[in-house]
Amino acid sequence: MPRPSSTSLSAANLTEPYVQPAADKEIIGLSQVTFGYSRKRLVLQDLTLSIRQGEFLTLLGPSGCGKSTILNLIAGFYKPLAGLVTHGGEPVKGPSERRGVVFQGNALFDWMTVEQNIAFGFRFQSLSKLEKQQKVKTIIQLVGLQGSERKYPYQLSGGMRQRVAVARSMVVQPEILLMDEPFAAVDVQTREGLQEELLKLHEQVSGAILFVTHSIEEAVFLSDRIVILDRNLGGIYDETLVQLPEPRYTPMNRVSDAFNQYRTDLYLKMKAIG
Amino acid sequence: MQLKASQQTAQQIAQQTAANAPKFKGQDLKTQELRERGLLFCVGIAMPVLILILWEITTQQGWIDELFLPSISGIVTEFFAIASKGYAGTPLMSHVLASLRRVFTAFGVGTLVGLLLGLLMGYYKYIRAAFYVVTEILRPIPPLAFITLFILWFGIGEISKVLIILYAGALIVMLNTMEGVRACPKQKILAARTLGAKDLAIFAYVIFPAALPYIFTGMRVALSVDFGILVAAELLAGDLGMGYIIQDASTFFNVEALFVGILMIAFFGVVSDFLLRLISARVVHWQG
Ligand SMILES: Nc1ncnc2c1ncn2[C@@H]1O[C@H](COP(=O)(O)OP(=O)(O)OP(=O)(O)O)[C@@H](O)[C@H]1O
Ligand SMILES: [Mg+2]
Repeated sequence: MPRPSSTSLSAANLTEPYVQPAADKEIIGLSQVTFGYSRKRLVLQDLTLSIRQGEFLTLLGPSGCGKSTILNLIAGFYKPLAGLVTHGGEPVKGPSERRGVVFQGNALFDWMTVEQNIAFGFRFQSLSKLEKQQKVKTIIQLVGLQGSERKYPYQLSGGMRQRVAVARSMVVQPEILLMDEPFAAVDVQTREGLQEELLKLHEQVSGAILFVTHSIEEAVFLSDRIVILDRNLGGIYDETLVQLPEPRYTPMNRVSDAFNQYRTDLYLKMKAIG
Repeated sequence: MQLKASQQTAQQIAQQTAANAPKFKGQDLKTQELRERGLLFCVGIAMPVLILILWEITTQQGWIDELFLPSISGIVTEFFAIASKGYAGTPLMSHVLASLRRVFTAFGVGTLVGLLLGLLMGYYKYIRAAFYVVTEILRPIPPLAFITLFILWFGIGEISKVLIILYAGALIVMLNTMEGVRACPKQKILAARTLGAKDLAIFAYVIFPAALPYIFTGMRVALSVDFGILVAAELLAGDLGMGYIIQDASTFFNVEALFVGILMIAFFGVVSDFLLRLISARVVHWQG
């Protein structure tokens, strides 16, 4: 469920006047999706999943249960063997700039500066130059990369690189952003900072986020909704709605009783799958 | 924010401990590194200098027959003689320029051809498939094996010489370029696609830059191979070029002139590789 857009951050020229999407409008739908990388071994069978406009949905589940596969299908990198993946009611036919992806590894363009990386998506959009510059500048501030605009990826730390990757996908305002364990490779401190920035960005930019992680804490801190996938063939084992005090990015949320309650709950459910 | 606060205190603590700790007497890392680099440089210079000294002593003392290894001073004298009087009736400059023109014409055109073919073969699997067998057969054959064939086809003049050099270099650049295109991480291509890039933009902004390090490696290997082939091509026929000096000098047992030819080729080979390396470091600066 989309949070009401916060007014605590004023750097909001990233979006046109924020229109609150209808709370239950579906943006991505998987219906009866069956998929395997080879026909002999299926990974997903009859998976049905709906992602709503603007929501932050996280997939949890044991390793190899098909989380990345679901992201690949939604991104349009693969086609389902049976069933349908839809975006705004239309079948997904291939990769599109309407569905952003943040990869786990380093997918930055090493030959471009931070600024050029972030502005890359704008090359293919017809915005005025000024508008593009404005948006790039705003997002660079939001992810705290001021001063590094002219640096190249090899000059950045792992955390900063991931910030660039997130900013690059976010700045073109995809209707959904797919993130596959984006923060898995950074240290805990940096990771917490990145999570808070991501939540702030999510408030500024209206799209939905589909997030994959192995960390229950990360899932609870970030998500509006958490789906736990089952071990066999990507069945949905459980679904949890998370409601924590606004603004969601306050670090205090990490130590609240409500947070601990969710965490315990989810932990036991994950244990039950084994 | 809590996080900021804790970072700041950590910084303060670090500063305090630094202030209290006894001063570190040794060099800091920067000067240590500089010293090491200076030392390495000296070792690198010392070895060739040592060889030259040994060379000069042994030849001056007559321990080695002048006919096998002329003295360095002898070579230098011969060089100045050739430089002022020319070789075989042609000024030294003409020999040098003739060779360099051959090498760089062939290298330039060969690089362009290799680059184009390599990009196409790397990107389009049908083109790759079409050329695959041919390149796999050509690859292990030393280009020099074709030299007489080229003369048969294109005559004994300039064209055969340039073409054989061109062929050798182009093949190397092509294979490296193809490798570079294929080594482009899939994630980067997909990332570009999800940002709205279409085929042509992906090629221009992602695949080509990603292949550049490979392309430059290929160019450097090609250039050194080109110099090697140059000498061989000039050995065969003609009366102009550094390779011709080598060939002609050896038939007359003019070992000093022979060494002049060899050392001049070495000189131009090293200098052009150095320049190419500079350009490469400029262009592929993101390699760190
Ligand atoms: N490119 C591929 N080709 C063939 N099989 C694959 C490929 N990618 C994944 N698989 C297989 O599909 C299954 C699901 O993989 P997937 O990567 O979706 O799991 P995951 O839930 O993301 O796991 P993890 O948590 O370890 O990332 C696994 O059995 C895996 O071996
Ligand atoms: Mg995965």
